[in-house]
Amino acid sequence: MMGGRGNPVPQNFRIRPRAIALGLLAVLLAGLAALAMFTVALDFKVREEFDGRRFALPARVYARPLELFAGARLSAERFADELAQVGYKEGLQADEPGRFERSGNRFRVLTRPIVFWDGPQPSLVLDLSFRDGSLTRITDAADGKPVTLVRLDPEYIGGIYPAHNEDRVLVRLDEVPPDLLNGLIAVEDRKYYSHAGIDPRGMTRALLSTLSGAGVQGGSTLTQQLVKNFFLTPERTLKRKFTEIIMALLLERHYGKDEILETYINEIYLGQDRNRAIHGFGLAAQFYFDKRLKDLSLAESALLVGMVKGPSWYDPHRHPERALQRRNLALQAMRDEGYISDEQYLRAKLAPLGVVAKPSMGTTPYPAFLDLVRRQLLQYYREDDLRSEGLQIFTTLEPRAQAAAETALSTRLAQLERRMAQPRNGTAEAHGLEGAVVVADPQSGEIKALVGGRDPRYQGFNRALDARRPVGSLMKPVVYFTALASPEHFTLISPLDDGPLVSHEPGRAAWEPKNYDGTTHGLVPLRAALAHSYNIATARLGLTMGVQGVLDNARRMGIERDMPPYAATLLGAVDLSPLDVAQMYQTFASGGFRAPLRAIREVLTAQGEPLQHYSLSVEQVLDPAPVYLLTAALQGAVREGTGQGLSAWLPPDINAAGKTGTTDDWRDSWFAGYTGDRVAVVWVGRDDNSPTSFTGASGAMTVWGELMSRLDPEPLLPPVPENVERVWIDPDSGLRADEACTGAVELPFITGSAPEEFAPCARSGTRLRNWFRGLFQ
Amino acid sequence: MKDTPSLHIALLLTVALASGCATVRAPEPPTSSHNTAVQVLLDTAHAALEDGRFASATAALERALRIEPRNPVLWQELAQAHLRAGNHAQAENFAARSNTWAGGNRALLASNWQIIGEARAARGNAAGARQALERAERFR
Repeated sequence: MMGGRGNPVPQNFRIRPRAIALGLLAVLLAGLAALAMFTVALDFKVREEFDGRRFALPARVYARPLELFAGARLSAERFADELAQVGYKEGLQADEPGRFERSGNRFRVLTRPIVFWDGPQPSLVLDLSFRDGSLTRITDAADGKPVTLVRLDPEYIGGIYPAHNEDRVLVRLDEVPPDLLNGLIAVEDRKYYSHAGIDPRGMTRALLSTLSGAGVQGGSTLTQQLVKNFFLTPERTLKRKFTEIIMALLLERHYGKDEILETYINEIYLGQDRNRAIHGFGLAAQFYFDKRLKDLSLAESALLVGMVKGPSWYDPHRHPERALQRRNLALQAMRDEGYISDEQYLRAKLAPLGVVAKPSMGTTPYPAFLDLVRRQLLQYYREDDLRSEGLQIFTTLEPRAQAAAETALSTRLAQLERRMAQPRNGTAEAHGLEGAVVVADPQSGEIKALVGGRDPRYQGFNRALDARRPVGSLMKPVVYFTALASPEHFTLISPLDDGPLVSHEPGRAAWEPKNYDGTTHGLVPLRAALAHSYNIATARLGLTMGVQGVLDNARRMGIERDMPPYAATLLGAVDLSPLDVAQMYQTFASGGFRAPLRAIREVLTAQGEPLQHYSLSVEQVLDPAPVYLLTAALQGAVREGTGQGLSAWLPPDINAAGKTGTTDDWRDSWFAGYTGDRVAVVWVGRDDNSPTSFTGASGAMTVWGELMSRLDPEPLLPPVPENVERVWIDPDSGLRADEACTGAVELPFITGSAPEEFAPCARSGTRLRNWFRGLFQ
Repeated sequence: MKDTPSLHIALLLTVALASGCATVRAPEPPTSSHNTAVQVLLDTAHAALEDGRFASATAALERALRIEPRNPVLWQELAQAHLRAGNHAQAENFAARSNTWAGGNRALLASNWQIIGEARAARGNAAGARQALERAERFR
């Protein structure tokens, strides 16, 4: 090496440049290696995220399908409602399924094809005749032959986005209005279709325009924005920016422009609805304009495009002037880029914002029920397992029961608040009442309706599942059941002592329960103590049977929560949700067969292949004979006891069984009961746990009555167990009666437990009869 | 009429015997259903069970039960299906459920107790199985 003018460079200087060069090379290599590894890691992450979001289409959830067969209890009016519910339109048109024609009590329907668990059902043309509330005939219009059994396609009730548990209204690229796509490109990324993920010139321009204080463009391409959207934390560090750039490049390497754009359309954050994030233009169109994306006008599309830059800053609800300005800026960019004409621009600029007052509806009209479906799915599936494309979930929901429950709750709560507002009711606040309703089928445990609050469209706190409140008197039937299960000690007429009681439990303060009316009632027949919900008699009965025994029965009936093993629990000092209570009463309503309450029947793949069947399952957990007696006592509670008020809604022949429940200071108002074909629980109260001023009877029971009256219930006629006999009793003496005894009642007894002696009022042949009976005993 | 206890006894005995006879009816044949739809589903279930297609059989029976939840034959068929599939606990419960709707139908009651007996035996409850099978015998 020669340095300078031929003078040789000293040896020691020769080493350093090479060393430096080698050192630099090493550093460079190491840096490149690190970068390569980093890039590989990012590459993996990008694909994982992107594939995950792209292919996790929401599961489609359906209500139960309506079964049609000759003899079905279904009126022409109800059938018309059901057709409307699934969107069937009047007027048959050639081969278009989903249409019908009606002439009085006769219908011709062209059904939509659908694949059920047990196979596909093709589109059919059906003729139906109704009379006197029944479907009398159903034939195939093609050949006039009777059709034995057919299902109407079920109502679509919403989507579940399993992986991320958020709502989406997913759209395909070809469903997006061209104006919106053009606007997006014009405003956010003019060179979208030509760059490779980042736009260096765009970034520079943005930097310059930011420095100069003008400019519509941000520096990020749509690709970069999509990448940014994948991260939850909006860091603004250099490292984040650098990562973002690499990921954008990688994304473009793996996926096409249209794919990326479609995902962007469905992913980009566009605002907040209380606790729900609005992602994607499909959902945004619904949220801001209550419209489908494809129905948006130019101005509306421009607004949404404008909001991409800052959905909170440009929130049209909170900052309408800013939003309007931003929208018009977007329109301007579209005009400048040649996507719209001057005329279109001017017309759109004059249009009002057009946003609707916040609709609370998400992507489902039944958020509380869908919430339960989601939870029950997760019992069997991990979130990852649900990443299949478009699972079809068939549920147990009965739209008619759901509508009845929702209407009953909201109208009755409004009425209750109006009553409270009247001056004589003192200081209780005349608003803020909330409630929950659960309706189920007693034999199968299928949940027919679930209402989580008085505003059923709002996806908020699901009181039916999550509001845990003391159940008060609703626990009493379990105490009485426990007693009746020992027929040698207790029958429906056994006298109970309702006199003052002080209970001492080790380590606890003395407990002195009081009745609601503040008095005591001496000796009362067991069934009356339950019918009138006497606290003291019940507490004494429960203590006699043993608290643990009662709790064991509650456990058998399906209560999984902790129940404090103290006497106060006998009177319902235990917090349960309305769903828990519904499970308990389902066990009574079915005669002792617990059927786990479920919302899902089956799950199919998008192609209609069966995936999972949620089987009918029952377990005989309680002896049917005492359950039968308990039901009779609860029917008495409705006929003559605290449930009497139900007669305003239900005719006596329904013979419903039910229990009112009121907690301390009237904080909770409950009613749980059953008819021949339904079991239902209603809770009314306040979220802040303040008093409501309503008892179970004046509050929740009115909702229950209203709900049932809309559902045409079947009378409650449980089958009589083989070891139960019906005996006429004279209430005064508690002995057997005959026709000569006035006021005699017929009551069920477990065989061998009924009184053997005849009452004094029975006819004079009494002694002979008693003797005769003795012969045959 | 003179109050003669012996005449009363004779009359009462005759009445008792006569009414006793009246309750002993010929056992009802195991009814299926008056409802064609349910009958069709029942037939579907039978066919599926013959083929060993347990899932199809139970699906058809569950669908039938939504139409006629109080039909003891349907509950029994479900019990049979579960027994054949080895779900012994479920089989016993469904048979017990069928019993509650069976009324006085001895043939049904006998079959149900038979199922219960077999299910208990399969789960190692020999004493319970014996009791159930004895009950089945008494109904035959």
